[in-house]
Amino acid sequence: MNRTTLEKGLLIAGSLVIAAVFAYAGFNKITDPSDFADNIFGFAILPPALINLLALALPPFELGLATLLLIPYSRRIGALAAMLLTLIFCAVLLSALLRGLTLDCGCFGVGAPSRARMWVELGLDIVLLGSASLVYWRSLV
Amino acid sequence: MSLGAGEIPQARPVSKVVRDFSAVVVLALVALGAGLALNHFSSQQMPLVYQTPEQRLDAQLNSLISTPPFKVTPAATVGLPEFRAAVEAKNALILDARPSFFFQQGHVPGALNLARDNFAADYRALEPTLKTQLDRPVFVYCSGGACHDSKLVANALLSLGFANVSVYTGGWDEWSAQGLPVATGRAS
Repeated sequence: MNRTTLEKGLLIAGSLVIAAVFAYAGFNKITDPSDFADNIFGFAILPPALINLLALALPPFELGLATLLLIPYSRRIGALAAMLLTLIFCAVLLSALLRGLTLDCGCFGVGAPSRARMWVELGLDIVLLGSASLVYWRSLV
Repeated sequence: MSLGAGEIPQARPVSKVVRDFSAVVVLALVALGAGLALNHFSSQQMPLVYQTPEQRLDAQLNSLISTPPFKVTPAATVGLPEFRAAVEAKNALILDARPSFFFQQGHVPGALNLARDNFAADYRALEPTLKTQLDRPVFVYCSGGACHDSKLVANALLSLGFANVSVYTGGWDEWSAQGLPVATGRAS
């Protein structure tokens, strides 16, 4: 197997994994936007006027970017959307951790509030950010 | 640099990035439209401006009775020994404040589901049973120590005229971790 084929294979595998993660997260949130809105409220960042709009828009956005990642023609856009989203998730989670909050981030469905889980989710977001950046960069050049 | 015959001009990386950002903005707008449309046709429609769980429960409570604005005050709490004794003696009303999905997965034997997120509908369904037991001790639980739903439901019951309402703070997490009896399904 030559290097180009290996790189292409890794690019597709990476896209599939990121798409699967976002599809799972999107499906989990779309079924109960009200609970997800409560999770967003817990971060104490957004005003009430924007919380429900974000809770309604984010799950379709995640499902949309997962779909774009699966199509070779639109993979780059899906990867950029995943990059931007995980960057925001990282900033928001880190800010909550630094403010001493104990929350259920609602990232992958409803769970019990836990700081340990917040750190794990921050780690997962950093891995996703790295993977999405690589997919985007390799698709760009 | 001039292009040869048949060559397709390639977009420069910077213009590609600008185009990609624009596409992401379009995706965000489409997602917002899809989210609003889904909400519009949903059976559990959300208002566009966020309401806290307290505000939502207050609205549900006002559909049952006219009350002053709902306030959460510290309700009496009990630990596992007292709660377990009440469950085993079957001399108290045990209420599970978690959403029905979790209740059906597993609950304390004899408990009824009075979910915080569906309070008014659940209360109406249970009203014939509940109204005959206004003076009995009532214990409310939710997931565990960090959950807020049992406190909200306990306060709502106090507003509705129940005299002796306590919150079992250990909740489902503690009860199930102790290996105590559990029931599943809609009601035990």
